[in-house]
Formats: sequence, structure tokens, C-alpha cells
Amino acid sequence: METSEEIKATKDVIQAILKSKKILRMYPSNNPIYIKTLEDAHGKFKEFFYYNDELQLKIKQNEIFYGAEQVYSSSEKEDNLALFFFKDGLREITFKKGLTNEEVESFFKVITLDFDTEVLDDDIVTLFWEKDFQNIQYVVDEAVLADEEDYESSAVVEAKEEANEPDNLMKAYEDAFKESEIEKEASIVPLSDRDLQALLKEFEKDSEGKTGKLVNIIFELMYLSETRQDFDDVSVFLMNVMQYSVIHGEIHILTDILSRLKVLNENKNIAEEIKKYLRKVMVYAGSEAVINQLSEFLDSGPDADEKTFDEFVKFLDKNAIPPFMKILGELKSIHARKIVIDALTYLGPKDLTLLSSGLNDSRWYVVRNIIYIMRKIADKRAVDFLLKTVKHGDIRVKKEVIRALGELGGTGVVVALRDALDDADDQVRVAALKALGNVGSEAAKRIIMERIRDKSFKEKEFGEKKDYFEVIAKWKDKEIFEFLSGVLKKKTFFRSAKNDENRACAAYSLGLVGNKDALQILNKYKNASSKQVREFTFSAIRRLEHE
Amino acid sequence: MSEKEELDLHKNAKDVINQISVVVRTAQIHDANNVATASAISRLVSMINILLAQESIIALELRGEFFYINDYRIRYSLEYLLNFDFLVREFKKRELGSVIFKHQLKIDDVKAFTRAFISSPFSDEPFIAFEEKMTGLLSIEVGRLKKIVEDEDSLDVRKMIKKSYFNAVSYTKGVINKIKSGEKVNIKKAKRVMESMVDHILEEEQLLLGMTAIKDYDEYTYHHSVNVSILSIALGQRLGLSRKLLTELGMVALFHDTGKTEVPNEVLNKPANFTDDEWKIIRKHPVWGLKAILKLMKLDELTIKSAIVSFEHHMNVDHTGYPKARNKMELDLFSRIVSLADQYDAMTSSRVYSRTPMAPDKALSIMMERSGTQLDPLLFKFFINMVGVYPIGTLVMLDTKELGLVTESNQIFSTRPRVLLIIDAKGNRIEGRIVDLTEKDARDNYMRSIRKTLDPNKYKLSLAEYLL
Repeated sequence: METSEEIKATKDVIQAILKSKKILRMYPSNNPIYIKTLEDAHGKFKEFFYYNDELQLKIKQNEIFYGAEQVYSSSEKEDNLALFFFKDGLREITFKKGLTNEEVESFFKVITLDFDTEVLDDDIVTLFWEKDFQNIQYVVDEAVLADEEDYESSAVVEAKEEANEPDNLMKAYEDAFKESEIEKEASIVPLSDRDLQALLKEFEKDSEGKTGKLVNIIFELMYLSETRQDFDDVSVFLMNVMQYSVIHGEIHILTDILSRLKVLNENKNIAEEIKKYLRKVMVYAGSEAVINQLSEFLDSGPDADEKTFDEFVKFLDKNAIPPFMKILGELKSIHARKIVIDALTYLGPKDLTLLSSGLNDSRWYVVRNIIYIMRKIADKRAVDFLLKTVKHGDIRVKKEVIRALGELGGTGVVVALRDALDDADDQVRVAALKALGNVGSEAAKRIIMERIRDKSFKEKEFGEKKDYFEVIAKWKDKEIFEFLSGVLKKKTFFRSAKNDENRACAAYSLGLVGNKDALQILNKYKNASSKQVREFTFSAIRRLEHE
Repeated sequence: MSEKEELDLHKNAKDVINQISVVVRTAQIHDANNVATASAISRLVSMINILLAQESIIALELRGEFFYINDYRIRYSLEYLLNFDFLVREFKKRELGSVIFKHQLKIDDVKAFTRAFISSPFSDEPFIAFEEKMTGLLSIEVGRLKKIVEDEDSLDVRKMIKKSYFNAVSYTKGVINKIKSGEKVNIKKAKRVMESMVDHILEEEQLLLGMTAIKDYDEYTYHHSVNVSILSIALGQRLGLSRKLLTELGMVALFHDTGKTEVPNEVLNKPANFTDDEWKIIRKHPVWGLKAILKLMKLDELTIKSAIVSFEHHMNVDHTGYPKARNKMELDLFSRIVSLADQYDAMTSSRVYSRTPMAPDKALSIMMERSGTQLDPLLFKFFINMVGVYPIGTLVMLDTKELGLVTESNQIFSTRPRVLLIIDAKGNRIEGRIVDLTEKDARDNYMRSIRKTLDPNKYKLSLAEYLL
């Protein structure tokens, strides 16, 4: 008979379960509130065990009983603890005195799961079963598992319908005396250590992933296929396996599928009609569905293996470009973005126009990445697309596109770069200047020379001036040699300090050009009155003498 | 106790049982004072004393085929299999049911225990002799092996197992009908069904195996699927698979014949042997099964395993079966297990192959011939150890002129199962009485032995009448 203390302690346990069920799901397990709630709940169990060695709760649809006493009741459909247990078939839960803190936590980890909204493959009974509790036992009504009510009775009746004929039985008995003894052919062979070793090896082999095996089987299915429907089924199965493999990070499985499909697709003996199904799968590999999943994988765990990924990308077609560009703007990890950039660098040449659509993306960093990819692809056809981006609102994009244009060169590039020399932002101007240097054409040279000759040039900051002279030194021809010598020699009466800056830069540039003939001129200015000219001249002389 | 401590304790308990086995084995060769024996004893003493530091007593008990320590069943791993089996046999020889270690042990205590253990089986009353030799030893107490009687509890267990079995069949029927109509399959229920099966196999293997021996149902397909699951789980248990893997194995076995749903009923239920064309249809079921599983189940690890087994379960280890693969691949472990279970259940049923069911022992003989070619020889070895030389349902004539049906195999003495007597020595039909063929008379002779086996199908005997 339950004492009032026991009943009170039971109700306290129920309250602790209700409270924990709400609170624990809100906090990580290292949070102090989580820890305290758990300890309190365990404490309530311990208080109960002071009165009794086990707490047996009977579960009804809307009530929970301890012995004959109702300790919980609710008619609600939501947040009804009794119904929560009842609906999966739990009819009794018993907590035993040895209940550990770990068991209490495991118990709560199960009951705090959101079974209504989360897509869970297991119900509460399965999850309890997997925990294999030592001190929590439960009774389950298995009738919920049967599809027919009282199937057992009808099956037993049916099985027993054909009762044994007494005559048959007696015949067996008589024959037993007549028949010769049956020699047993099967005999038990004792298991040896070698058998156990062999079994361990089997387990080792069996622990390997099964997806590859399934792929082999699906290809066998393809070889056995006869109808269009068969081929269509196979293609759907392969696509599903691809999805599954990406979710589980088995990128090599995708590569394996695609490489096999490629071989089949190139086989002239296979009918075009069948190849349509093969290509459907190949295209699917680069679809948004697969690439989006890939994005989650790339961002979720440890860094993906670049080599494996590169192998996979080699089998993709241009349809993978848009989804890759889409995820490029969504990925959080730098490593993941690098992988996608490499993928687009590989895929981009298959359709530059498609790749260039990424230049219209509203996110500046995506545009910058696409420009970077185009630069790496180094295809001059990209220039037309890039030129449209020169006037992008973001300086970081402008710098990237100017750099790309500089590397790519070609018609229209020099003009765009010349215009960029007038940009309000000094970083853009410097980038344009360096890009012109990279172009290295006569036109580019002329533009820079004109700018230096321009009256307004001497008003520029010294750093920018120095950049101009540094870039122009790349041409190293006679014209430049003379041009620089002219600047060094040039004297003015007005604003001579600004002019000396130009002269100092010209001396520096002559040093960079590397023509030893310049030493004669430079030596004339090593004692110039301007300290700046003196220093730069001296430095240039040293550079030329030591080259 | 923390989970880790509990795990450690369980591991220590396993080690203790293993070490007792080592001590006994060593002492059977050498004297208890020999260095090898003494060293094994010393190790055992220190192991038990560690456990005694945490628990006030350590009670090792043999219940059925399993050891329990302080009421916890000790699940042994593969590495300990042989030593555990050895110790079970040795305990049974002495009618020894329990050994209780009460106080901190001394080496001399265990030496005395070992001497008593080694000398007792040669006595007429081995347990009494053993107990006598233990007199005066305060730290170790022994108890007699409890005879398994059909008490109320075991009848309840029987009922429960029957219920689980039929629930599983009913569930399977529902699933197969769903598959037939192309509906998606939710495996939550399948998991529950299999978890229940796994628990029963772990606790009451023989009772559940007994359910698979009854072949008198009309709905063969559903029963066959469940039977193959049970046999596979039982074999998996012998192999030492974890509970989780056993559940998976049970589920993939349950779905192994999914492709049969596409075989026309007139072929599937044909009362005569199949024609060549009908065989062609039948042989497509692994491929159909693979396709149905991949179409109707959410793709996850379990679905993949199910699909593989469905495709491979008739392929045979030597690839002589069907479907024929262009690129030969080694069959999956689960496929090889299910293949054994499938063949055994199918051969002993009346619906497939030659359409005449075989006696269980005859089926095993045929399977033995196939072992090493069609069937995996290593797994077959475990399988035959599991079902025994006289599997449940075998009709046996005893040397007492009694006729009976095997209801439970004996894992230790394979030729001495438990038998349900159906005809007495005078040739009268009797209501079932179960006898244990290990029982001996006062002169230490076995009271009953099997003289021969008969084919119950030849006499159209319905096992349902006796086993249900």
C-alpha cells in the first residue's frame, strides 16, 4: 500500500519530469541551468527511493498511476505526459533504486526530443531500447504493432484446423520400428579459434560503407534492364544515391558513378535512347539539388578533401555553374569557398556567358569572386563581361576587375584603365596604373607618359607619383630611358619642391629600368641640392652598380 | 554508479567469467599448486577483489545458457565465446548453478574451490560432492543448478513470445500489402517489431526458434519473412553482433523477399511444381525486391542494407545462383546470413522448391552439402551450432520406444535436446510432456536417447497442434 509520503514523492518526480522536459531542450548540456535541472530531477528520484526500491508508473491514455493512486492527469492533446508515453505503446515505466545520473540524463534526452515536428526515424520506445537502461524498465503494448486486431487467434485456429489424424501418427510410430536407422549426415563441428579469427575479419570487412556496394548493384540492375521504365528506374536510383552520398560526404561515390556513366556514354554500342537516361543522371550531378546539399556538407564538418572534390568536378557539366555561384555567396568557411572557386574555375570555360551572369549578383563578394575566377581562367573572351563591371559601386570589386583586365589585356581594356586612373579612390587609381603596367602595350605606355607629362601630375601625392614611375619602368626601352632622363633634368622656378618629387621618382625609375647608361646622368645629380633627389639618385646608382 | 563505471564493471564481470574458465582449463591439465594454475588463480583473485570493493557480494549464476553476475546478464563478446561455452558445460557437468564470492578472497580459498571443482564431476552426485568439498570455505558459496520447469512464469513468457511472433507476422502482412499497392513504407514499426524479436532471442532463443518450426499456416509469405528474420537474428547473436546490428539484420531479413509481391499469385500459390517459365518469373524477385525497396523506402543505411540483401540472397557464395551479375562481387555478410536462414526455412516449409517440406535434419544435411559452394561454410558452422543436430520440430524415436518432437535444442549436448513426448512406450497417444534427454537415472545412465529421426511431413503431422 502506498503511503502518503510515497505518493507525494512520486508526484514530485512527475513534476520534475515535466519541468525537465521543458527546460532541458532549451539549453546545452554544459549550461548551469541544464545541470541544475538534471540534478534536481535526480534528487527527486533519490527522495522517492528513500521510501521504496522502485518507482513503477502505470501509463494510461490521460493519466499516470502509482499503484492505485493517480499521480498525473491531463485531458490536453499537447503537453500531456501520459499521452506522450501512451501513444507509442508505453504502458508502464519503472525506475529502480540504482538509477544513475547518466541514466536520468539519457532518459531526458529521449523525452525532450520533439517527436511532433522533427523528422525522426525512431519512436520513444526504440530510443529507450537503444539506450539499454539497467535501471529503467518499461512495458510496452505490442498490439500497436500488429496490423490486424487479434491476428494471433485467427492464425492459431487456422494452423490447428488440420488436426493430426491419429492414424497418421500411429503409422509414424509403427514405421519407426520398421525403418532402418537414419544415419545423421549433418553434425556439429566445434568452433575453433581460427573460425573466430575468420569471423573477426568478416566483421572488419563488413564495417566498411555500403553505398559503393549499392552503386555496383544498381549498375548490375542497369545491365539487366530491358524496358524504358527499367532504365528510368535506374536513373532515379542513381540520382537518389548521389543525394545520399553528398549528404554523407561520400563525394568519391559520385565520382565513381559519373566516371562509369561517362564510359557507358562514350560506348558506341549503347543505343542513344539509353544514353538519354545516362545523361540525365550526369546532368543531375550538377543540379541545384545536389550542389545545395554539397554546400551543407562543405560548411558542416571538417575540411573536405580538395583532391576528391576536384576529381568529382571534372565530371560535371556547365549546368553546375549557376548552383555553384549561388552557394558561393552562402558558404561560411573559407576552405569551402576555395573549393567552389576552384570548381568554377574548372567549369567556367565551358560557358563563360553563364559564368558572367554571376557578375550581376547583388552581393559584392560574389561578384569579386567571379571576377577572380575569370582572371584565373585567363580567357580573353571574359574581357567584354568584365568591362561592364569596371564601374561597380564597390571599390573591392573595382580593384579586382581592374587587376583582371590588366592581366587579360585586349581591346577596350586600356581605355577603361585610363578612365580608372581618374577614379576618386586612390586604391582604384593605383590598381589601374598597375594593370596598365601589366597590359604592357604601347598604348598603355603612352597613357602613363601623358599622365606624367600633364601639368596636374606634380600635384599628386608623392606615393602615387612613385607608383607611376615604378610602373613605367617596366617598359625599359630607349624612349622611356630618355623620358625619365628628361624628367630628372627638368628644372623649374616655381613650386620646385613638387618638381623635385618628380625628379626623385625619375631617378628611382631609372634605377629600376636597369640601363647602366643611366649612371652617367645619375652621377650628375648625386650632389643635387634637393635632399630627396640626392637620396633617390644615390639609391638608383647603387642598384645599377650592384646589378 | 556512472555509466562508465557500470561499463567497466560489466567488462570486469566478463573478464572474471573468462578467468574462471582459464583457471579451470589450466587446473584440468596441472595441479592447483602448479605455477601456471597458481598464476591464473592469483589473477582471478585480484579481479574478484576489485569487484568486491564495489559490490558487497559477487554472485555468478548460470541461468539457461547464460551467465549472470548480481542479476545482470553478462553478454559476452566473440573473444570470450569459447571460454564461456566451456564454462557453461563444466558448470552443467557438476549441476553447479551459482558461485557466490562473499568476502575479500585469498589465493588459498580459490585453490580449494578449484580442487573441489576439478574432482567433483567423477562423482555420482557431482554437486553434492562439490558442496561437501567446499565445506568450511566461508568466502565462497555454491548453489545447485535450478531445473527449468514449466512454471507459470515460463508459460507467461511462452504466451508473450507467441504474441510477439504473431504481431510480427501481422505487421509483415500489412507492410507487404502496402508494398503491393506501391505505398511508402515507414520503418518505425518494423524497428519496434525487431527490437522485440532481438530481446526475445537474447532471453528466450529456443522458444522463438520453436515458433519458426511451425509451418502449418496459410499465409506462408508473411510467416516465412518473420521466420527468416528470427533465424537470422539468432545466427547474428551467435556471431556476437550488437543489439543494434541484430535489429538491422532482422529488418533486412524481413524485407528480403519483398520482390515476391510482384510475382503473380497464381504462380506464387501454385500447388504443383513450377514450369521453366514460372521459374524465370520467380528468379526475378531479387531484382524486383531491390527496386521496390529503393522506390518505397527513404534512402538510408538500413534501406541500403535491405536493398543489398534483397538483391543478393539467392546469388550464392559461388555465384551459381541468381540474378547473374556481370561483375562478380563478394556477398555481403548480412546477405550470407539471410541466405542460410532463408534456405533453411524454405526447405522445411511446404511452399517452395519441390513443394514438399523436408524434415529439419534432412534440410540441414542438404545445406551441409552446399556449405562451401553455395553457402558460406563459416557461417553454416555457426548456424548448425545454433539449430542443433536435431532442430526444433524434428520427429524422434527414443530408445524407450517413445515418439516425440524436439522442442528445444541443447547447445552443450547437441544430441540431447528437450523432447515433447506424443506417444508413450506402450504406443498410446499422450498429451504433451516435455523430457530433457540429459536426464540420468540412479545408475548415471541417460534415461532416454534418440534412436532415429523420422520425417514428420511423410505422416502429415501438424506441428502446430503440439508447439502452439
